[in-house]
Amino acid sequence: MNFRLLTLTTLTAAGIAGSAFAADTVKLGYQLPLTGDTAQYGQDFRKAAEIALTEFNAAGKPFKVEIVFEDSRSDAKEGTNIARKFVDDKEIVGVLGDFTSGVSMASAQVYKEAGMPQLSQTASHPDYTKVSKYQFRNIATQAQEGPYNAKWMASKGIKNVAVIAEQTDWGQSVVSGFSDAVKANGGTVAFSEFFNRGLKDYRSLISKIERAKPDAIYTGFFYEDGAQFLKQLQQLGIKTPVYSTSAAYSPKLIELAGGAAEGVHLTSNFLPTDPSPNVQHFVDEWKKRSDGAVPGQFPAQAYDAVRIMLAAVEKASPNPTREKVRDALAQTKDFPGVTGKTSFSADREAEKELVKVEVKGGAFVPVAE
Amino acid sequence: MFDPYYLQQLAIGLSLGMTYALMAIGFTLIFGVLNVVNFAHGEIYTLGAFAGLVLISATAPPIVAVILGALAIGALAGFSLERIAFKPFRRFTDEASLKSRAMRESTLLSSLAVSIVVREALEIVFGSQMRSVPFEYLINTPVRVGPVILVTGDFIIFGVAAAMLIGLQYLLTRTRVGLAIRAVSNNPLGAKYVGIDTDRTIITTFVVGSMMGAAAGILMGLYYGAVFPAMGFTPGIKAFVAMVMGGLSSIPGAVICALILGISESMATTFVSSGWSDMVAYGFLILTLIFFPNGLFGARRERV
Repeated sequence: MNFRLLTLTTLTAAGIAGSAFAADTVKLGYQLPLTGDTAQYGQDFRKAAEIALTEFNAAGKPFKVEIVFEDSRSDAKEGTNIARKFVDDKEIVGVLGDFTSGVSMASAQVYKEAGMPQLSQTASHPDYTKVSKYQFRNIATQAQEGPYNAKWMASKGIKNVAVIAEQTDWGQSVVSGFSDAVKANGGTVAFSEFFNRGLKDYRSLISKIERAKPDAIYTGFFYEDGAQFLKQLQQLGIKTPVYSTSAAYSPKLIELAGGAAEGVHLTSNFLPTDPSPNVQHFVDEWKKRSDGAVPGQFPAQAYDAVRIMLAAVEKASPNPTREKVRDALAQTKDFPGVTGKTSFSADREAEKELVKVEVKGGAFVPVAE
Repeated sequence: MFDPYYLQQLAIGLSLGMTYALMAIGFTLIFGVLNVVNFAHGEIYTLGAFAGLVLISATAPPIVAVILGALAIGALAGFSLERIAFKPFRRFTDEASLKSRAMRESTLLSSLAVSIVVREALEIVFGSQMRSVPFEYLINTPVRVGPVILVTGDFIIFGVAAAMLIGLQYLLTRTRVGLAIRAVSNNPLGAKYVGIDTDRTIITTFVVGSMMGAAAGILMGLYYGAVFPAMGFTPGIKAFVAMVMGGLSSIPGAVICALILGISESMATTFVSSGWSDMVAYGFLILTLIFFPNGLFGARRERV
């Protein structure tokens, strides 16, 4: 009887001490695709997040942060399940992710009901931030990239453009964002078409494009489809210039497409050759964990997103709640990231500067203005 | 109609069709013998491609050695697949089990299970991103034939598909092994009673069919220059459609239907958006099943 009392008291004391420690750890959720077709993106995000987290936890802040990673496989159903799981965990005060606009928007419905702030590093469909005041993103949307690219192409004297994009929410936003801007600049869209993501054989599509004889081709694809498209474009001997969104900006595009990627124009908001100390620091940390490979734009986006969220948590502490973190996020102004300065506007869009990039000599080089 | 644009689309369609036919041949062989769909054929295809890739990165042998290596891995994979997913359902030899269709149909699920496990295992070992094939090995240098541009790979794939078809016809009609295969596909129980070793025959069929699947995989890997764990899914579906259209157990029928499929997909992009071109394939499937339930070539040809 006495022994039992003693054990119970010890356990309670340990429990109280434990929860006192627990109060010093803040939890964030991160939903990303760790397996499946888009796993390579999710794994890059996790790596970048771990770099940011290690730096934060080593910086002597009054609390530690822990990130719970969950695999969404870029599937909207999985994403929604994970969202519910995060929402039910009372210790999670903020969520990062997802990778694709479709899954981010599906999960956003859950976060809207629960009042959980969500910051996506890559969802660029214009409707994502319209879901509720809890949705944030730190990437330029297609509504920003489209006009930027249209202006670039107009400045090069390109009048007639063929637009192709993958058949997803995001792809459709690419086409609409760009087509409207081209028409506003006085150009014409020769035709616009969608292809199924994962298509390996673009040759019939390319013949069709060639028949329309556009001045340039604007594309909305990721590096896997992009590499196939560019290789087959070269195979069919077509020399029309290709412009792309920042989604194709990845060293793997050049690795897979080889010489076929020469001359592709893209936009980006991250350049690993930027001499600023924080960019170089991130590039070095990334290289250490990736056998010397250089990071592309997406890991840089994830790194910044995590750091923005961590800064918001710090601003909202002590005792950060979901509302306080959301408000702190909304007040982010000129956050110095590796993808440029980030501020959230009133509708929680990131105001970002884009850079023009070209593939020259097997590497991405900024276009000299 | 002789507009070079249509000629190019036709050429592209033929080359696409040949790639589907490569896969359909092995698929139809196995289905013809066992009357069950081998869902893991797409993964054998992927294994062949990865085996080729690993060989290339390990020892950089000449291209023929790479293809032979992939064939060897395909044969091994086919053998293991048969032992793991198909044999256990034949272990009962009482009359009822031998005549039971449920036993055969459960192999549908077991092969699906093997395919899932293999795909996830490949993802874990190699990662799910697309891997490139070193450029010296690629078989897609363009070749100009009149107004149309083809690639060297098209000719190679055509040659390999023709060789497979002719070789298979020879095997099936002129050798004892082929005779045994035809007997088992005609009537497994009867073949067993007559004294044919059905077990050995089935293993042989799997090995030959999987070797063809792996050859398809490595050739497609070299043709497109992209290898990734999920690459077997779409070709598997297209091969299945070609097989059903062609009459389920007719290999030449499957090849012809694969060509029809490729050409119609390619020509369809002229009229509809490329995203809808898959619909052409499935539309054909539906039409065939409604109007030709035995497939286009099924009823009129001897089951081979």
